Amino acid sequence: MAERTTQEKLAEYLAAKVIPGARDIKFSNWVQTAVGWSHETFVFDADWVADDGPHRRGFVARRDPGTGLLRELSSLEEQYKVLKALEKTDAPTPKGYWYEPDISILGGPFLGMEKIPGEAVNPWSKVGKQFYAEAAKRGKLPKSFVEALAALHNLDWRAAGLDFLGVPGPGKDFALREIAKWEGLIAQSIRKPEPVLTEVIMWLKANAPSVQRLAFVHGAYRTGNLMVHEDQISAVIDWELQVIGDPMYDVAYVLSDLNREGSPLLSCVVEREFFIDYYQKLTGLTIDFEACRYYQVLYMMRTAAFWLSASGLFAEGRSKDLRLARTTYSVPVVLDMAARALGF
Amino acid sequence: MIPSKQLLSEVIASLRNVIAPAVKDPYPKSQAYMAAVILEFLARQLEERTDIESAKEAELASLFGEVARLAGGDKIKGGDVPSEAALCGLIERLYNERERLGEDAFKTANGLVRASLRRLLDQELKITGKSEA
Repeated sequence: MAERTTQEKLAEYLAAKVIPGARDIKFSNWVQTAVGWSHETFVFDADWVADDGPHRRGFVARRDPGTGLLRELSSLEEQYKVLKALEKTDAPTPKGYWYEPDISILGGPFLGMEKIPGEAVNPWSKVGKQFYAEAAKRGKLPKSFVEALAALHNLDWRAAGLDFLGVPGPGKDFALREIAKWEGLIAQSIRKPEPVLTEVIMWLKANAPSVQRLAFVHGAYRTGNLMVHEDQISAVIDWELQVIGDPMYDVAYVLSDLNREGSPLLSCVVEREFFIDYYQKLTGLTIDFEACRYYQVLYMMRTAAFWLSASGLFAEGRSKDLRLARTTYSVPVVLDMAARALGF
Repeated sequence: MIPSKQLLSEVIASLRNVIAPAVKDPYPKSQAYMAAVILEFLARQLEERTDIESAKEAELASLFGEVARLAGGDKIKGGDVPSEAALCGLIERLYNERERLGEDAFKTANGLVRASLRRLLDQELKITGKSEA
């Protein structure tokens, strides 16, 4: 008997658990958008017949292949809980439909969410750079980019039930918790001593900033992790790194050169001065540039952790993907960036 | 026998210009391009490996000697033979002993360590280049 495909297994699952009573489920526009780095993502439309007639709905399913480079730091169950919590807020996010921990169905846990109109255009490609540069000229998308970030930072995370993510103590606790998290990933992955990384980590521990106010922080807020529809952010996606923490952590990521590949625009889409003014107006926060510089070094340490984890997965034989092997050569490059940021 | 550098160069050119463009499926296509990229790094690594390793060893020996000569440096240096692993330990001890050493002594030792880290990093960057993270 031929092995059933992912589509067949998902159709059976939907009929049994998500849309009981559905008959003749058929998928169309099936696209697998992410392979190898993190969770596998499948985007599709489903047509089915119920007692009251025909139906059609778009879905996104994400499956944990067990070899994502964040290892156990990224949990689909947590992502699902975040999506459900955000449904009650103004943050533009997809609705969560299900979380399934049973690995016997698709070979790993998986979740389902709403398919949102729009596209998460990759800003690193030539086409993507052009897409964002043109949208920036029209002016609507840069505004929406700042508004969606402010919506996250302004939301009442306690009322939304997001405190399950863990609430840092006052002062420097947030930064120290983040360092500890990424140190944990490094410890699991590292293949040889990296003294430059040790210096960066010790400097980060010695210089952790205090937090102005705690907010719900995305952790990787940039174009490419945002769905864009008709020049508006239709959804913030890629919920893998979110924390309760310092909103400057997201601001630093937006201000970082890491996300613009030579574009004069932040995240390839928004002018720096506009971002600063509009963000401060919408949130009532004053951007702490010193804290942002600190978090940019923390991002470099985090990036080194990603690459060490990716190349470690290859070295451990858990993945045969050569893209992961290639990242071993990226570690010295990101450590060079961190060293320069610290003045050596 | 064809010189290894020339042979690697031909294999890389074939992967990049002949094999990868002919593959339609995105995943095997990405693997063919990645194989070419990795072989380029490996070619540089093979060429420079001996020089790099000996330069790093000399750098580490020099740093550990300099740190030992600083006031309180013996405790910071530790008893290990100079190596990258021992340097990680030295850096941790330096920060952990910062208060006891005083800010001036810390800065002097940290300056030596950072200058040495820069030279060690520059050795690795000979293989990786600086442009892509």
